[in-house]
Amino acid sequence: MFQPLREIEGGIQLSLNVAARAPRLRVAPIFESFLRQVYFTGVTAATGVVLRACGLGVIIIAVMIDMLDADVDLAVKILLLLVFREIGPLVAAVVVILRTGTAVSAELAMMRVSGQTRALRYLGIDLYDYLVLPRVAGIMLATAALTLYVQFLAVLGGLVLSPFLIEASFTELTDRLFDLFAPLDFYYSVVKSLLFGFVIAVCCCWHGLNPADLTQNAVPKAVTRAVTQSALLVLLINAVFAYLVFGILFFGLVKANV
Amino acid sequence: MSAHVSELALRYRRKTARHEVQAAVAKGAVTRVHVPDDDAKAHLVTAVLKARGEPGEELELFGESAAALAWPRREQLRARVGAVSPIVGLITNLNAWENIALPAAYHGAPSLEQVAALAHEVLAAFGAEPRRFLARIPDELGMLERKMAWFVRSLVAAPELMVFDALEDGLSYAECRHAARFETEYRARQPQGTVLYVDTKEDS
Repeated sequence: MFQPLREIEGGIQLSLNVAARAPRLRVAPIFESFLRQVYFTGVTAATGVVLRACGLGVIIIAVMIDMLDADVDLAVKILLLLVFREIGPLVAAVVVILRTGTAVSAELAMMRVSGQTRALRYLGIDLYDYLVLPRVAGIMLATAALTLYVQFLAVLGGLVLSPFLIEASFTELTDRLFDLFAPLDFYYSVVKSLLFGFVIAVCCCWHGLNPADLTQNAVPKAVTRAVTQSALLVLLINAVFAYLVFGILFFGLVKANV
Repeated sequence: MSAHVSELALRYRRKTARHEVQAAVAKGAVTRVHVPDDDAKAHLVTAVLKARGEPGEELELFGESAAALAWPRREQLRARVGAVSPIVGLITNLNAWENIALPAAYHGAPSLEQVAALAHEVLAAFGAEPRRFLARIPDELGMLERKMAWFVRSLVAAPELMVFDALEDGLSYAECRHAARFETEYRARQPQGTVLYVDTKEDS
């Protein structure tokens, strides 16, 4: 009955601990762990995302143009409002949850179950310093980078395809895109993706370090809870963020002014 | 067992309904403690590593009662204890070198050059090829090699009290002869150091 409250309290405590320890990132093994996390989440995930991101932009623009009988203006607005602002960060967050969230929660739960976290404590190494801080910081940074990467490729894919579907050249579409693009769009997606990365990392670290019990069976349970709760938190933040910044809800689809 | 309290590196007592475990380890001595079972052994080693006794346990480390210790003092005492024990195992996603160097890198002392020199020296003394040994992850190490890695990692901190927890567990006869040299290697670096072997009665 009190499990959700315990999870919320634990998540908040973990977040505060990470924030307070940020300067510890300068310590050599913590910084190395941070770089490893950035590499795993940002760099290795990026190669697999290329085709998917391009395909995403292409599919969305093809379907929307066909359904709405769109002109240049509408096609670019679709790319900007839907692909750049909403779908890009969400897709990056999904990739991070599926690749990194599962790995982090399983790794930490395994360490907890096999007594490796206890060994670290006996060596005088703080778990928040060595295990949580580099993962949270690394996942945040990598999620933001991955989001920009997905956005760029998805928009590019859409721009390349659009000339085949509507009467407009690539240059015309690109010019219109730059006309409509506001710095707010960029800041919005960067802040949102950092927030996505933060909640994914905190949620997965918390569940990894707090498995239901100390048996092998607890590891898949911890991963399942971490992934489902991370996904829910990301969707919740997306809705709240869209409402706060643009006054629209549900991924920008309900009251988006196209 | 009759050593004066001020000369003790460790004094421990735990009484349960089933048995009573007592240990008194004189500074600079080599002491063997045989406890009734694995649970009692885990309690003893954990209490020493934590520098803190659970309810029902009495612990004195280097003449100070652990019950009355403030956190910073407890940390200072913990830093004076090393252990070759499965309780302080290796981190599986780090290779042997990263495992050995991790505490030093985290605490900022000793330098990694000193750690590397010590690791090469000790591993070579045990007949291992240091470069190959240090590059392997724990799953690629045999039981004796893991114990060697635990031992080198403990040596780095120059502990005044070294605890060998069931040192011969999981080792062949030939490997046990290798492991017996841990004490010599420790003594060579800590002539005044104290050695405690903990075993269960069934093992001894």
